[in-house]
Amino acid sequence: MPLIEFENVSFKYGDSENYAIKDINLKIDEGEFILLTGSTGCGKTTLIRCVNGLIPHFHQGVLEGKITVNGYLTTEQTVAFLSTIVGVVFQNPENQLVSLNVLRELAFGPENMGLPREEINNRINETAEKLELKHLLDKTPIELSGGEQQRVAIASALTLKPKILLLDEPTANLDPKSAKMIIELLGALNKALNLTIIVIEHRLELLMDYVKRVILMEHGRIIADGRPAEVLYSDEAERSGVNIPRLIRVFKKLKQSGVNLIFNPVTISEGVDALKVMSRC
Amino acid sequence: MLEVINVSYTYPSGDTALKNVSLKISDGELVAIMGPNGAGKSTLVKHFNGLLKPSKGKVLVDGVNTTNMTVAELSRKVGFVFQNADHQLFAETVEKEIEFTLKNLGLHENLEELKVKALEDFDLIKYRDKSPFSLSGGERKRVALASVLCANPKTIILDEPTAGQDLVQKNNLLELIRRFHSEGKTVVIVSHDVEFIVDINPRIITLVNGEILCDGDVQDVLANKMILEYSSLTPAQITEFAWRICEELKPLPNNIITVDQLIEALKTHIIGGSL
Amino acid sequence: MSFNIFEAFKYRRKKTFIHSLDPRTKLALAIGVSALSIIFTELIILLIIFISLIPLLIIAKSIKEWTGTVKGLTLLIVFILFVNIVFNGLSFAVSMVLRIFSLITAFSLFFLTVHPDELSQALIQMKVPFSFAFAMSMAIRYVPTIAREAQTIREAQMSRGLELEKGGFTQKIKNFIPIIIPLIVSSIRRAVSIAESLESRGFGAYSNRTYLLPLKMKKRDYIVLITLLAAIIISVIIKFVVGLPPLLLLSIPF
Ligand SMILES: Nc1ncnc2c1ncn2[C@@H]1O[C@H](COP(=O)(O)OP(=O)(O)OP(=O)(O)O)[C@@H](O)[C@H]1O
Ligand SMILES: Nc1ncnc2c1ncn2[C@@H]1O[C@H](COP(=O)(O)OP(=O)(O)OP(=O)(O)O)[C@@H](O)[C@H]1O
Ligand SMILES: [Mg+2]
Ligand SMILES: [Mg+2]
Repeated sequence: MPLIEFENVSFKYGDSENYAIKDINLKIDEGEFILLTGSTGCGKTTLIRCVNGLIPHFHQGVLEGKITVNGYLTTEQTVAFLSTIVGVVFQNPENQLVSLNVLRELAFGPENMGLPREEINNRINETAEKLELKHLLDKTPIELSGGEQQRVAIASALTLKPKILLLDEPTANLDPKSAKMIIELLGALNKALNLTIIVIEHRLELLMDYVKRVILMEHGRIIADGRPAEVLYSDEAERSGVNIPRLIRVFKKLKQSGVNLIFNPVTISEGVDALKVMSRC
Repeated sequence: MLEVINVSYTYPSGDTALKNVSLKISDGELVAIMGPNGAGKSTLVKHFNGLLKPSKGKVLVDGVNTTNMTVAELSRKVGFVFQNADHQLFAETVEKEIEFTLKNLGLHENLEELKVKALEDFDLIKYRDKSPFSLSGGERKRVALASVLCANPKTIILDEPTAGQDLVQKNNLLELIRRFHSEGKTVVIVSHDVEFIVDINPRIITLVNGEILCDGDVQDVLANKMILEYSSLTPAQITEFAWRICEELKPLPNNIITVDQLIEALKTHIIGGSL
Repeated sequence: MSFNIFEAFKYRRKKTFIHSLDPRTKLALAIGVSALSIIFTELIILLIIFISLIPLLIIAKSIKEWTGTVKGLTLLIVFILFVNIVFNGLSFAVSMVLRIFSLITAFSLFFLTVHPDELSQALIQMKVPFSFAFAMSMAIRYVPTIAREAQTIREAQMSRGLELEKGGFTQKIKNFIPIIIPLIVSSIRRAVSIAESLESRGFGAYSNRTYLLPLKMKKRDYIVLITLLAAIIISVIIKFVVGLPPLLLLSIPF
């Protein structure tokens, strides 16, 4: 049974005439690391809100179809219950760090769940250790750099021990090095905890070393869904105007000029391998 | 011309965000300012239109010390576009949004002409009577740009123009920047987006901890491992790819940064035979 | 200047005896001192109350912040002094100022040494509903954020030639519209996104919420509380039952 399943899901926000997402069918298994992309307003955030139940419980509107997460119908569960299965990290960490120090921020979710103190302390220790936040525990959000804030936001979702982590443009305001560190962290969490991760991102090249699947949306619909090589070399990707990583653009151009490729590289290592093959023949 | 001479700046809270910075930007230059979060990039560019006045040193705009000028006076010469359009838009219609700036800056005489030009330049004619709040994110961004640049300033400052933008929006912006540049305007962009900066091909200044670390062209900065490392930047994907090819396969020319440069190099050095 | 006052009331993280006291103890202290300085009108006693607060400031390593507050309030204090000299004489005016100094000192000592999260925890333990106490600590959390945002908006509009000081009275009020509207719009957006994030972490969903860091009164708290109580009782007895010795009734002779 897939961990997340969408069956013919469409959603229209209460005050809107158009569907924000339309006819979504989607199956996601445990441990997948997925990149969700598409031009602005195509419905990526809306899709994510459906997974953790913010739609339809927080954002009202017309929801059609069936969404199952870990076997539960999202319509029949509360957002609070779903938060122990699905953690979310939003674009702006400022709005997500609601406490005045990091320790309390990490405790916030488990406290709301009414977990025993000892358990909460264990989770904080464990998470702070893994995300290298120990030295920041008594800082206020304002004292943290953008990258640290985003790490705390991730940590504070993880203390609820979710199986799924959703991230909505987590690196949009970060400098390149901090952005890279956040993505590396996600890669590590995916491997170490078998955490299922869905990241929304416009700068695809950041994620190429980690994701095994890319979902591409346009006007509320999924127009391509598959391995990065499949999706990013497709005509849909070209047409929908996503920011195809430049390495892929190089190989696409080489192909057009008649070079034979035995496979479609997406990462730098694959690119080097492809060139090795080519230079040999 | 913008001249920053030994400028230090300390916020009232006591944070020193700039330490003895000096630089000169000539008319018609295209400049990017890059560097880690909190390096002082925004603080620096806010000195260009007088939003901040140096704690030490001086800033000259066309030879005039900014200390003696108001932001409104400087804004006719230096247009500053903030990252978030929502921080600027407030009027009932797009048209009024633009009129607001023109009136503030005392451009009453050719108000109509400048307004129509701005609406045309940013493809907003069809929205002129609409509320800015009813528009999409990308359209609001265009209104914000128009509402600053309608005054036709000689120098344009863009703080983080691409954050959270998709390819279409980035390409529009790219085209716009190229157009300004070809019109002889000075353009200063603060950005974290290495790939976008490669496309613009500006002079790059990197700022670290309130100090200028380096100042050079795209090749000098974005293809230099040391400078990238110290500026918290990452190489463009093409550059990293070229480095890996050099390490594992065959040497390529230094400083490869664009898609076309790499294809050229691959064709001559690696896959010449298979074509 | 108003910003300075706010800064001076802001919590500073430090490790001192005063910081380590329970917020409820410090609240009692602030209220107790305020009560005393309202009960007494005598110059000398008010001076004693005020002077006895200085060591507490020193122990809390907060003299600098306190000086900031007082500086920020100089105008107000001078005003009060002046008005009272004119209407009530110098002696009364000086007492009034001393009283205000004690009140300011007592409360800035409280706010400078009580972490807002501790304050909300104290309120919760004093049976204030969680959502209320939480709202208060959130408000404190977001004041600097929104102040920064207001500043950015002001700068963004100044870059479009807005001059706040320009024009007559009505024009000056109108000048704020381009700042107020974006501030409201972005604050609403922020509120929605904060709400989403709270919701996504189970805020308010279950009634058996855990509080990770419950407050416990320690020995030092009891010592301080007992001392405070003794001081209040003794003062009240002296004032209302025994009567003040003439030495303490001295005042400035005009
Ligand atoms: N809270 C809301 N109320 C009404 N309409 C909304 C709301 N949120 C989003 N929409 C609309 O739904 C559509 C999809 O928006 P969504 O935010 O899901 O797009 P997105 O792909 O996340 O875009 P971006 O890349 O800009 O974040 C858009 O047309 C948007 O205007
Ligand atoms: N209004 C302010 N008051 C006090 N300190 C500030 C203010 N604005 C910025 N700072 C501080 O000044 C330093 C430089 O900030 P600045 O915003 O110029 O950095 P930046 O390079 O633009 O960073 P980013 O990439 O995150 O936008 C930081 O340490 C920041 O915390
Ligand atoms: Mg979105
Ligand atoms: Mg900045």
